Amino acid sequence: MSDHTHGDGHAQGELDMGHTHVSSPAMFMTVLLALLFLTFITVAVAQFDFGSANMLIAMGIASVKASLVIAFFMHLKWDTAVNKLMFLSSFLFLSLLFIFTLADQFTRRLDHELHTTNSEPVDGAWVQPAKSDGPH
Amino acid sequence: MTTNTPAVDVQTPPTAPPRENYLNCSKGFKSWALTLDHKRIGLMYLIGVSIAFLSGGMFALLVRLHLWEPEGMLFTNIEYNQIFTLHGAFMVFLFVIPAIPGSLGNIVMPLMVGAKDVALPKLNLLSFYLWLIGAVLAVLAIVLGGFDTGWTFYAPYSLYTDRAVVTIGMAIFILGFSSIFTGLNFIVTVHKLRAPGITWFRMPLFVWAIYATAILQVLATPVLGITVLLVAFERLYNIGIFDPRLGGDPVLFEHFFWFYSHPAVYIMVLPAFGIISELVSVHSRKPLFGYKLIAFSSIAIAIISFLVWGHHMFTSGQSTYALFAFSFLTFFVAIPTAIKEFSWVATVWKGSVALNSPMLYTLAFLIIFAIGGLTGVILGALNVDLHLHDTYFVVAHFHYVMMGSIALAFFAGLHHWWPKMFGVMYNEFQAKIACALIFVGFNATFLPQFVMGSRGMPRRYATYVPEYAPYHQASTIGAMILGTGVAMMVIYLIASLLIRKKAKENQWGGVTLDWIAPTPPPHLNFDHEPKVVHEVYDYSTLDYDSMQRDCN
Amino acid sequence: MSHDDHHAVVIPAPGPEFVPHTVAHHFSTPVQEFQAGKLGFWLFLATEILLFGGLFAAYFYFHELFPETFRVGGEQLDWRLGALNTSVLLLSSWTMAMGVRSAQTSQKSKTMIYLFLTVLGAAGFMVIKFIEYKAKNEHGLICFGHLFDGYDMASGQVSWFKDYDGVMAGVPHGHMFFSIYLTMTAIHGLHVIIGAIAIIYVMRGTAMGRYHAGYYLPVDLVGLYWHLVDLIWIFLFPLLYLVP
Repeated sequence: MSDHTHGDGHAQGELDMGHTHVSSPAMFMTVLLALLFLTFITVAVAQFDFGSANMLIAMGIASVKASLVIAFFMHLKWDTAVNKLMFLSSFLFLSLLFIFTLADQFTRRLDHELHTTNSEPVDGAWVQPAKSDGPH
Repeated sequence: MTTNTPAVDVQTPPTAPPRENYLNCSKGFKSWALTLDHKRIGLMYLIGVSIAFLSGGMFALLVRLHLWEPEGMLFTNIEYNQIFTLHGAFMVFLFVIPAIPGSLGNIVMPLMVGAKDVALPKLNLLSFYLWLIGAVLAVLAIVLGGFDTGWTFYAPYSLYTDRAVVTIGMAIFILGFSSIFTGLNFIVTVHKLRAPGITWFRMPLFVWAIYATAILQVLATPVLGITVLLVAFERLYNIGIFDPRLGGDPVLFEHFFWFYSHPAVYIMVLPAFGIISELVSVHSRKPLFGYKLIAFSSIAIAIISFLVWGHHMFTSGQSTYALFAFSFLTFFVAIPTAIKEFSWVATVWKGSVALNSPMLYTLAFLIIFAIGGLTGVILGALNVDLHLHDTYFVVAHFHYVMMGSIALAFFAGLHHWWPKMFGVMYNEFQAKIACALIFVGFNATFLPQFVMGSRGMPRRYATYVPEYAPYHQASTIGAMILGTGVAMMVIYLIASLLIRKKAKENQWGGVTLDWIAPTPPPHLNFDHEPKVVHEVYDYSTLDYDSMQRDCN
Repeated sequence: MSHDDHHAVVIPAPGPEFVPHTVAHHFSTPVQEFQAGKLGFWLFLATEILLFGGLFAAYFYFHELFPETFRVGGEQLDWRLGALNTSVLLLSSWTMAMGVRSAQTSQKSKTMIYLFLTVLGAAGFMVIKFIEYKAKNEHGLICFGHLFDGYDMASGQVSWFKDYDGVMAGVPHGHMFFSIYLTMTAIHGLHVIIGAIAIIYVMRGTAMGRYHAGYYLPVDLVGLYWHLVDLIWIFLFPLLYLVP
């Protein structure tokens, strides 16, 4: 069918199974060691306080680990373009959920300032209490 | 887009017994209950969603009857809350979301791409049974005390009410997975099972629409799943993330809920767009105006729909900055939507329009959807919405889209493919009368609601001040006319199965593969593997003989 | 790839210890069947990402709202157990990848061994998880015996959060961190159990000789699922145990 054209030279064995890729045990072992090493790094950097960069660093290392798992253990590196697109687009749409939901939360403090500097509150807008105590 | 020699595909020797098709190829309960045939699964879906639609419609008529008098005619306030919740939940989760993909999509889409079945037939059957389990749980929830939260299940009320919220939550969770599996299956089918010659731009637009819908089903529905799960956890063991008593934030619930439920609006409406795209072309005997524009606008709508959910939450306490962003982005939805509407009208323009019942439903859709869409733009404007939020204006707007557009498109598609599915024709005259009743009744029901909404009548109230009585009464009369039209439709469609007046092999003169396949299609859809060499909607390839000949 | 003949396509077995595979009737070629299965499963994994995504969004939302609660809450978890569990899962992911590779190369007994080791990893993970939950129970941070007792109007606290040692006394809504911890790890744990059951299912098929170089789709898909379970834990570990 239409996807026949994708069947390029990765096939192994007697049957052309499309995007089959058999990786070497050495590569899997390298990836495993890298993942264990990055786990160690995760714990190690958590002992230091980089302030607001803490979250970025931790998530950065986790993303590298996740990419290794996806690319090599899950073979996505050798998979079809459409499979890559479908799986990776889930992260794109997930980022939309994060961005808009958290943008609301993160800008409520600005909102609070906006409304307290105005002499009259804007109708229909709700004022978030100061960040430290949260809504009780 | 047709086979080289279409007549060969459908020819049967005159002495042969009635040709085998998917309806008569095997008999008995098990041959249906365990079937892997997409057409049989689609028919089971059709029966299921129709029952859900008729029950939801009964609840709607009860709501309208109750509101005949300002103090309410039938129910206590608490009962009223349950009835309108049942109406909403049944219509949204059991009818509108699964209706078109589950029934018509299942039956027609694999035919249109020239496949023998969907890519994952067992998953298809599972998805139907998940729908059935969800429906049974929903009915069980009614028995266990009902639910009075509105179909949106907003926290914190849904956390505190003593009704069966966990049960209906589980029903929605399961229905969500039914929807996910349907969408997943359709994406794989479109990618992997297209017949030779069906390139992406030779796919009928119904397939494009189903594909865009499927993307939404797969990517948005899981978030609804986790949301209802969290509500259930909240009720079971107070996790506190939606409960303001415990430091949680009900606005977070609304974010999660609308992250799904706004794209869900397009899960509902995109398949309807697809049906209309097919029908305006076939019944105007003209290639679609702006094929690629319509195809891409489906994808554009699917993507933009993820960026605008906050416009349901303009009064719920989001930050002002988020309000600006969501209102601004909302207007972008209007662009691809308008492209579609204009393309349909341009297709009908100077076409050879056949005013048969599917086309009448289609034209009714074009009028109603224009009103439904434009009032949506009004509501997307932040300042206007602060006034109109949670009034009958909103109710009227989304009924113009959900009932007036989606249900009408579903009816249009049902009339269009009825002869294909069953090989029988219904009574065209009765169909036209019913269509007129539905159109008049629908507008009589919901136009007054725009007026009373803009004058301040809030939604979901069991009673109202007497000033609104004329609008409510007009609306109730309209609902009765609408109900009569739907009842009539159900009767003549069922009657057609008993009378068995034979349909033509190609009843409307379609040239997509669903009309090239024998009527009704055999178990494996095509006698020979179809090969497509023509562009889609190329009416010069139409086999007029198949329009005259009775089906097998 | 003709529809005309409805003869089934059969993939021959590579050896006497294997059985041939018959391609499902609606597919024309083995490649089509294989790729349809893969695409479908990647889409399913995408839904899993978004399902967990809701939980992660909730985490970040309340991490922003109550940073102190999360900081102090994270200190109550034993990061050594978390790191151990991370390593167990990474190792089991490796055995799974090797198991899929053995199936791809028709090495039946090796496949069995690697799949068994993966199940062992799953069991180890759950045992360590149990030890952790038990400790939380003893300190009253998550009282499993009172999980469903509801909300106590008088104290304004949920019944399962007793905090015997008063470690969370100084921060607002101390239970919030633990409810998110419990929900995320419990749903993840459920996936671990489902994954282990799926692996045992393909072990059965492997023993029957169904999977070989010509047809190993189920092993491949279960492998993908298992790696996803690992993937989610990779993010859960720093967020819960080392609260940044």
